[in-house]
Formats: sequence, C-alpha cells, structure tokens
Amino acid sequence: MSSSTTLTLNMQPTTGRTAQTWRRNQNTVRHQLTSGLGPISHTVLIAVMLCILGLIYLTQITKTSTYGYQINDLKNQQTKLADQKRDLEVESARLQALERVKNSDVAKAMTTPTETDYAQN
Amino acid sequence: MNLSLLRQSRSRTLIIFMCIIGAIFVIRLFYLQVVQYGYYNNEALKEHTSKFTLPAQRGEIYAKDGGGAVAPLALNEASYTVYADPRYVTDINKTADTLRRIAGGNVVDNFEAGLGNKSSQYTVLARQISQKQADLLSAAQLPGVGMQEQDKRVYPEGSLAAQVLGYVNNDGQGQYGIEQALNSDLAGKSGLLKAVTDVRGIPLSVGGNNVQEPAQDGKNIVLSIDRNIQSYIEQALKDGLDKVHAKHGSVVVMDPNTGKVMGMANLPTFDPDKYYEQSDYSAFQNAVVTDPYESGSVVKTFTMAAGLNEGAVKPDSTYNNTGTVKIGDATIRNVLQTVNGTRSMMEVFEYSLNTGAVFVLQQLGGGNINAQAREKLFGYFTDHYMFGKKTGIEQAGEQAGDIIPPDQAEGNDVRYANMTFGQGMSNTMIQITSAFSAMINGGTYYKPTVVDGYENSDGTETTKAAQIEKSDIIRPGISHELNDMMHTARALSIRGQDKAGYFVAGKTGTAQVIDPKTGAYTDKNAVGSYLGFGGNSNTAPRYVIMVRVTDAQVSDAATAGNAAAAPIFANISNWLLDYLHVQPK
Repeated sequence: MSSSTTLTLNMQPTTGRTAQTWRRNQNTVRHQLTSGLGPISHTVLIAVMLCILGLIYLTQITKTSTYGYQINDLKNQQTKLADQKRDLEVESARLQALERVKNSDVAKAMTTPTETDYAQN
Repeated sequence: MNLSLLRQSRSRTLIIFMCIIGAIFVIRLFYLQVVQYGYYNNEALKEHTSKFTLPAQRGEIYAKDGGGAVAPLALNEASYTVYADPRYVTDINKTADTLRRIAGGNVVDNFEAGLGNKSSQYTVLARQISQKQADLLSAAQLPGVGMQEQDKRVYPEGSLAAQVLGYVNNDGQGQYGIEQALNSDLAGKSGLLKAVTDVRGIPLSVGGNNVQEPAQDGKNIVLSIDRNIQSYIEQALKDGLDKVHAKHGSVVVMDPNTGKVMGMANLPTFDPDKYYEQSDYSAFQNAVVTDPYESGSVVKTFTMAAGLNEGAVKPDSTYNNTGTVKIGDATIRNVLQTVNGTRSMMEVFEYSLNTGAVFVLQQLGGGNINAQAREKLFGYFTDHYMFGKKTGIEQAGEQAGDIIPPDQAEGNDVRYANMTFGQGMSNTMIQITSAFSAMINGGTYYKPTVVDGYENSDGTETTKAAQIEKSDIIRPGISHELNDMMHTARALSIRGQDKAGYFVAGKTGTAQVIDPKTGAYTDKNAVGSYLGFGGNSNTAPRYVIMVRVTDAQVSDAATAGNAAAAPIFANISNWLLDYLHVQPK
C-alpha cells in the first residue's frame, strides 16, 4: 500500500464545512491517505465474483431441474390416482348394471303390480 | 547478422503468427456462435428436447335413467400393453412364467417365441391388462419388459343398446352407432408437450422453449335413450321374436313431441366389450337407421293424411270396395277379400284395404291416378314426411331409402298405386317413426335424435333443444282426425290388448319380400310391422313405437304385421303407460 502526505498552509480562517477555528499564524497540516487495489487484485476479485455468480446460476438451474423431477413425479401420481378413480367408476357401473340388478335375489323376490291407479284431480 | 536484430525479427514473426492464429479462432468462433447461432441452437434443441403426445380422454356416454338421473353406457379404464425388448431379457423361462401367472388370458398367442427372438427389439407379450396386473408386473421387475398405458373403452351394461352405441376398435376409432357418428366429438384433441429431457427421457422444466398444449378431452354425451325403456324393449323384442320363431327384428320408441329417441333395439345383437368375437357383422348395424325396406301398410296412414290434408277425402268418405283395383295392366288386391262393399276411410285402416289407399290417390288426382295425383303424393312423401332423405340422426351408416319421382319412367301409375300402401318404395324405420310423430303431434316434424345433451365438467347436463325441421306438415285438426281414425281402427281390429282408459292407436304393416330366386314377390315370407302411439287423448301422444319382425314363421305370411309385430307393440305400449306415469282419462 502507498500513502502520501499533503502539507497545506492555511493563512485564512476556514469557514463552512470546517468546524475548527484556527488561530492566527498557526500552521495546519492535513494528511490524506489514498489507498487502492492494484490490477492483479482487481482481476482476482472479478474472477472470484464471476465464480460466485456462476455457482449461484448453477444452483438455480439445478433447483429448477429438481422441480422438473418433482413435477413429473406428481403428474405420475395424479395419473395413477385418476386411473384408479376411473377403474372404481367402471366397477361401480358394472355392479349397478341393469342385467345384474335384474338377476339379483332382491329383484327376483319382487312381484309385478297388477294394476296402477292414479288419484284424480 | 546482428543477433539481437535476428531475435527481434523471430519474436515479431512469432507474435504475428500467433495473432493470425488467434484471429482465425476468433473469426471461426464468431462464425459458429454468432452467424450460425440459429442453426446450432436448433440442432442442440433437437438433441435435448423430446415431443410427447398428451392423449385426450374419450368422452363418456350416458343414458337417461328415469327422471333426471343418468347411468353410464360407455366409460374408459386404464389398460396396459406389455412388451419386451428380447435383447435385454435375461431369463426367458422366468419371464414367461411370471407373465402367465399375472397376465393370465391376456397374454398373446405364442409370446414365448417372441421373447426368444434376440434379433427383434420389440415384441408384444400381453394386451389390455388391468391396473392391478400392471402393478404386479412392475413389482416383478422383469429385465427387458416394459408396459405402455392406453385407454380401453368399456361398456358396463353389456349388450344394452349395443347397436346405438357401436364400439371403439384397437386404433381408438369409433365404429358403428354413435361411437362412429360422433367420433370427433367423443375423441377430443390430443395435446402436445415439447420439453428438454434428461437421459431417461423425463421432461425437465428448464429452458424457455418448452411447449405445452393441454389435451382437450372428448365431450361426455347424455343420450335420450332411457336405459329402463331400452332394457324393456330389448326383452319384449326377444320374447316376441321367440313366439314366432323369428331371429331378426327391430323396435324404436320416440317421444313424438321432441323427436328424441327413448329406445332403439335390434336383434341379433352383440356385446361391444367383445365385438371381436362377433362373426355376423350385420349385428353391428343399427337396422332402424341403416336398413331401408318396403314397410307395407303402415304407409297407408301417410297416404290418408295427405288425402285428408288436401281435402281430397274426409274421415267419413266412402268408396265401393270390390277387393281389387286395376291400374293399367296390373291388378291390386286386398289381402282380406271378405269385406267388399261400401267402406269408409276408417275401415281402410281397420281392414287394411289396399284398394282404399289407391282410392285416396285417385281422389288426389281428381278421381284418377294421373300426373297431378303422383306429384301430390310425391310432394307429401318427400317434402312433408322427408322420405328419401337422411334424417341426420347421430348414427353411423344411415340410409336415405328410395322414392321414385313421378317424372321418371319408373314413377308410373302402377308404382304410385303400390306406394300408397308401402310397396315400390323403401324407408328406414327412423324415417317412418319421425314422420309419424309429426303426423300425430299436430304437424310438427322434429329432427330425430339420440342425443339429449352434453354433460358439463361439474356433472350437470346442458340439454339440447328439440330441433324443428318443418312445421305444419299437416294441419292440427287433420292430425287429430287421423288419430281418432287410427284409434278406432285399432280398437276394432285388435281387441283387448290395450289398457283401459288410454288412447292407443296404430296400424299394422305387412310387406311382401322379393324371392331372390325368382326376382318376384313371394307369399311364403313377409316383413311384419306395427306403427302406433299411446297417450291419454288424441291430442296428447306420449310415445310412438314402431316394431319390425323380418322373418316371422307364421301360418299366413300376409298377416305377419298382426301376428308378429302387433303383440310386441302392445306389450311395450302397456308397460310404457305405467313407466311414463300416463294418467288414464
């Protein structure tokens, strides 16, 4: 690191931002330290930042891919459940089919009404 | 030579050379990555993306189940085709044994040979196995064996309304019936998924180029067919055919006030679940719409309606029945030769007098069969009753029938005289039933339909409105007069078959058939029909029934309509009066 010192002779009292008050004929000295990064440091920092950005990008992409697998699994589950529902509906329809109902013991025990009467208005 | 100069020269040459090489790389990369970006991007996408078809689910078909309820007639269930890549099958015996144990009767014939064929990459082992079987097979983890899911059409009511429904073949195409007629509505539209996939072909949700077009499932259709009516008419038809030792027959029941078909049955029939076992392909046809025939004396009702509507005859008009009438060089005879003398128009129905029907035609021509008479009858048959035209009912293979126009050589007086009682022309049962419905309901012709509406996603039904094809085909007053004539004729000719207190009317029809050996009409066989309706008054018909028995074995073929078809009509009619809660007057 490098530093430099600047000597300033101030013959007039300062105003404004400088809150100090200066005595007459007083010499004032202010040291301004200027520190900076060299070209190699810059390059290294940029490379590190790029690596971090790349890692973040890869993490996000991997996460998205993982979501793809999750979505695929959920879709498969959904399809399987829908298939099961349809199979149950078919089974229910078969059990309630007219031919099956007609041949049931309950239906066989029924008798046909001889006459139907209607209440007159 | 100065060494430093030489070194400087070499270095410069090397730098220039390196710069050129670098420039070539930069230019080449620029060309590949910028200029050719589109091409290589597409090539890369082709490698990484796959297209998947998202199959649409076929629409289901429901029948009415009394009142507002519906019952399923055609549904879908998941089934699987089991296949193998024989190159990866490690143990053929174990694979075959496991398959036989799990798939049972679903394995294809001689599948072991396919398993042993190592030069093949694909061989089908079993078809249409159930979800449970598929789960067991997956658990068995057989190397080289895979499964492909596909929908299978199932008909839980078995053969009920088989010809109305048709079936779906292995390619997913509807065949016959409504499955074929409304195939595009039922099939829906497949969707598409285009996505980047991993090595196993699983779609990943990366990349902005994924495309997903969801599948549009087919429409769920609610038929106007009532499954209870359908079941009853199928049984009544079977019982009726058994009594006359017949094998072929058809019945249709229609609501005359909407044109909606409530039941439609044919024998012989088939099981749509096992259509592949059917050897007689004619059983697939819905003969009510696909089989035009000479329907015989039921057509007298249409001739009479034309005569009444034109004012050519009145219900109490009479004519002298001599038993025969000579038209040109042809003589037309009545079947019943014992009722000669003065007869009324009602008696034309009661005794089914061919001469009476010819009399009506003569009156349409001012007393003779002439061009005017033929034109008028042709106009009524084609423009009022829509004969000779397809009705547009949602059934595959509908036929238009045949009506010879009067301006053709074959449309002569003899033919038109024959047409008055249903010979020399052909109609389908659905044409006759639709026109008869219009004739008895006051004159409104409704387009016949088997579709009541469409089921919405929330399970409710959007009902299809009845479609009026033509109004005032005859005047309402004429319609009521005609109903009275048919009612009286039935009450006198077919006694004691109808429930008391109801208004039941109809007309028999017996059509001679042509002997294929001689090419002429034969007396040995005839097609018997009955066409009628029921309700509680002449202005409130609730149903129209038409019955046809094609091959009745009765003692006198000329009475096939009366002996074979009429009892089936009466059976169904009496049951319908109760089922539809028609109150007697």
